[in-house]
Amino acid sequence: MTQFSVPWKQSPPIEHRGPARGIVALARFVYKVATPIVSRFPGPILIAAIVFSTLAVWAHWELFGWVETIAVSDLNGSANSIWGQSLTVAEIGAYLESKSVFAGGILKYLLWPLQMELFRDLVGLAAIFQLFNLIPVYAIWWERKVAGRIQSRMGPMRVGGWHGWAQSFADGVKLVAKEDLVPAQADGMLFRIAPYLAFVPSLLAFLCFPLGSYWVFRNVDVALIFIVAMVGVEVVGVIMAGWASNNKWSVYGAMREACQMVSYEIPMTTVLLVPIMTAGTLNMVQIGDMQSGGWFTWNAFHNPFTFIAFITYYIASLANCKRAPFDLPESESELVAGFHTEYSGFRWSLFFFAEYAAMFVVSGLAVTLFLGAWHTPLPATWAFEENSLFNVLLNGILFSSPFWFIFKCFIFIYIQLWIRWTLPRIRIDQVLYSCVQVMFPIACIALVGHAVWMVLLDGTMVSTVIRWVLGLMMAAVTFGFLSVAAFGYRNGRRMVGYLAVKQLPGS
Amino acid sequence: MADTIAPINPADASAPRQADVRTEEMLVNMGPQHPSTHGVLRVVLRTDGEMVLQSVPHIGYLHRCAEKIGENVAPYQYVPYTDRMDYLAGMNNNQAFALAIEKLTGLEVPERAKYIRVMFAELNRIASHLVAVGTYGLDMGAFTPFLYCFREREMLLDLFESACGARLTYSYITIGGVTDDLPDNFVDVCSEFLDYFEPKIDDYNNLLSYNHIFVKRTGNVGVISAEDAIRYGLTGPVLRGSGVKFDLRKAKPYEIYDRFDFDVPVGLPGGTAEIPRGVVVGDCWSRYYVRVKEMIESVKIIRQCLRDLPDADEKEGICNKKCKTVKLPDDEVYMEIENPRGQLGFYVKGDGSAIPARVKARGPSFCNLCVLEYAGKNCLLADIPAIIGSMDVVMGEVDR
Amino acid sequence: MKLLTLAAPIIVVMLVAIAPAFAVDTDLTLSEQGIQRSADGGLLEALMFYVCAAVVLGSGLAICLSKNIVRMAVYLFGTLASVALMYFLLLANFIGVIQLIVYAGGTLILLIFGVMLTSKSPWAKFDVKRNELIAAGVVCALFACLLLFVVVNAEWPLETDAVVVGSSMTQFGVGLLTNYLVPFEAMSVLLLVVMIGAAYMARQE
Repeated sequence: MTQFSVPWKQSPPIEHRGPARGIVALARFVYKVATPIVSRFPGPILIAAIVFSTLAVWAHWELFGWVETIAVSDLNGSANSIWGQSLTVAEIGAYLESKSVFAGGILKYLLWPLQMELFRDLVGLAAIFQLFNLIPVYAIWWERKVAGRIQSRMGPMRVGGWHGWAQSFADGVKLVAKEDLVPAQADGMLFRIAPYLAFVPSLLAFLCFPLGSYWVFRNVDVALIFIVAMVGVEVVGVIMAGWASNNKWSVYGAMREACQMVSYEIPMTTVLLVPIMTAGTLNMVQIGDMQSGGWFTWNAFHNPFTFIAFITYYIASLANCKRAPFDLPESESELVAGFHTEYSGFRWSLFFFAEYAAMFVVSGLAVTLFLGAWHTPLPATWAFEENSLFNVLLNGILFSSPFWFIFKCFIFIYIQLWIRWTLPRIRIDQVLYSCVQVMFPIACIALVGHAVWMVLLDGTMVSTVIRWVLGLMMAAVTFGFLSVAAFGYRNGRRMVGYLAVKQLPGS
Repeated sequence: MADTIAPINPADASAPRQADVRTEEMLVNMGPQHPSTHGVLRVVLRTDGEMVLQSVPHIGYLHRCAEKIGENVAPYQYVPYTDRMDYLAGMNNNQAFALAIEKLTGLEVPERAKYIRVMFAELNRIASHLVAVGTYGLDMGAFTPFLYCFREREMLLDLFESACGARLTYSYITIGGVTDDLPDNFVDVCSEFLDYFEPKIDDYNNLLSYNHIFVKRTGNVGVISAEDAIRYGLTGPVLRGSGVKFDLRKAKPYEIYDRFDFDVPVGLPGGTAEIPRGVVVGDCWSRYYVRVKEMIESVKIIRQCLRDLPDADEKEGICNKKCKTVKLPDDEVYMEIENPRGQLGFYVKGDGSAIPARVKARGPSFCNLCVLEYAGKNCLLADIPAIIGSMDVVMGEVDR
Repeated sequence: MKLLTLAAPIIVVMLVAIAPAFAVDTDLTLSEQGIQRSADGGLLEALMFYVCAAVVLGSGLAICLSKNIVRMAVYLFGTLASVALMYFLLLANFIGVIQLIVYAGGTLILLIFGVMLTSKSPWAKFDVKRNELIAAGVVCALFACLLLFVVVNAEWPLETDAVVVGSSMTQFGVGLLTNYLVPFEAMSVLLLVVMIGAAYMARQE
């Protein structure tokens, strides 16, 4: 009796060792615990997230406000050192009691380390790092869902239950566990260092990126230029990656990236001067706070030139973070995968983190500079004065909060995705033509026109009327999109694959 | 790398003068594993920056001795090999070989089977053109039309599956007829599909054909003049895209194509209501658009087929009974039909036995691909996928 | 372990890059007038300075010693970025940012681009001839002497009260359009000439 046997050895199941084992175990555990909850209560979890983020704003405000008051104002702030203060726990407790705040329990112990600036900075930095990690993870998941919907399919549906919410995490675990390949003929040092050179600048851009009036790690007076510089420096990593791979397609990707970035930075920074001129400052927080008076005070509706500048900026920013239709550096049908052809695993994921973070950053710049930053369309003067918990919560939901900022950013990221899954890619000569011959003249016209407008027409009746007209136009466009979306949501599902599912034999 | 590539010569007079700064030339190997070479085509490009000065196709990675096999098996056994050649248009390949053998042996085909053959050949033409149109969008970087086209193709494959049980390699059209009769409700379902499908072509046009970027990418790119197209022996949409109104279904009607009313679309100059500005006759956009128009013509033919389809004749059956026992006479025959990609011809020589002495195929993709060297020079790197995509080659048939 | 080796560069590069943020507090919310103050963590600031200086010197040395032209560009990036960090440490935010955007983000990329596009030079190695080495050594020695001369003769204020600086932007803009208008305009004319020259050279025949 002969048995069928294969001539090759079957490899044993992979056993993870070291930290990878822990990661896999943790992922399995989280998957087991979180999946049933998320699949059963997606709606409540979303609402809870909104409420929680608003509460976090409030807590941040109250806590850090207290700490500032204790450490800086009331107790001889000039001697405050970054290494901490000589304040003891008892002193903090006494101070809190003097302010008739409940000081029992562990509150004073919690406040004690917060008097050290270094500690507060580290807390803030950890928060930024988490934000920086979560935004690409969810942007990637969302991109796949949006692409699926646009292409009449579902996108990720399995991992995590509810609409594959954990897909990106699973991908992350996979990418970390993958082999870290370096081609034999590559320039090993540059090949290894290049992803970090792309990743770190886009992370640094978040350092002075305000999510709200008080939600900024370092409120730098030149924050705007700093962010633009960081988005621009990212390209060094991409070029290095392309060259170090020792692959001709990668070199092509790198050259295209260099070409495209250097040329599109010019119209982009030129149109950024328009809101800077309106605001008279480079400080992002101040620019954002100037647009608090309702949607018609947003910079984009200031006059026709700012509106043109807004559109121009958005198109240039697409080119700047290499999104379609300007995704030439990684165009898969021409250059295989462009500059990251040879990358795999963790280093490859760093490029993706950098790209999606850059998408968020350029969308955030558009929101902060042109579309009212963290404010809702309602004027902030209607906000509640008193700082009770309920009022703060309501203010956060109705008027201004980091939640709104992130929400607006994701609207612009959505438009980026929409464009990507709709339009073909343009050619390199057309990219440069549209930069030099179209975008740059438009940017110059917007800049000069805005300057003339500010000198001649600002504050007159004409300016107000134009502002209202532009604002109403934008509102109409938004409403139109919402209606189309609502119509599609109600009627779209029945249109897709109706015949294929219901009518034909064999299916 | 490639011995056919000319040595790098910076002083090449034919190279376009882009600027005063001369850059180094580079040989780039595109394929055989490249996303936009549609299979295992390898093209060696001589590039100067983004400019492609010369492109030389290298083929043979998918050679499977398809013609030699034909000299070792009986014709009805060889039918399944034919739809592995051009695997996107299996029905048409089956039909070409079946017609060649029928012409050689004089086998009669039942009337109903003739209609079914034409119908499935045209349905498969639509399926093949859907892949061509969709992947052409993919070559240009537009992912979504590809999946829309595949959604409709899935329904077509459902139709094929209902008739013959296979979704890619059908062997449905066989020598002396078709292997099986249609399912009972096929006419209704098929006409329902056509009603569903016809408006979708407008969707593709709005989404892709008339997209400004798409026109800019493909208009006036890879232009092949009518004379050169004829000189290179191009056929099919590639020939008609150059403005030559030649279609074997009209010019030399085989089967029962003379009974149907349809049009032969050709490439037209741009600037009209239908053809956007920037398009010239013989460019990539024309070749692409000929395929879109041919889908409409195919729908017309299928509607007429469904209308005129004769009822099944119990006595005659759907396939000639002698198809498996027929001996090939000591004679030779060449039969060519209009494949979705061009003229597919089969040369068969018999020697009195049941097995052919010689089988030779004239593949349209193989002949169309030869023009790449002519069209793909002095263009940009991004134009090369545009040109290859507009040829719509299937490597299985090029290498055979 | 693997994860650690992969993630460690992020932490290291990030910490170096944001070091000035720790050493210098430029938080405007603390004081309404837009005043920056140097946190008097002298130790931390000194530490950051030495780190930046080490990176500047090390990558500068690496530029000289490297034989591969693209690697040189990366080292140059290290130098330029660290110099920008030192500007941040000195509270010269605007200059630091401009250093990043112009040199690191613009000039350096154009340099690499030119190197990659024009010839085989990215794959070429530099072989230094002996007389080139001597000439370079002489120039370097002269320049080092000059620097030493300046360092020795300069008056170094031991203590400075100038930790309080206003927002540098307004002063910068006003200065550019008043006291330094003529050099500013001269520069812009020079740049215009350069642009016209570049356009002339790049135009098609």
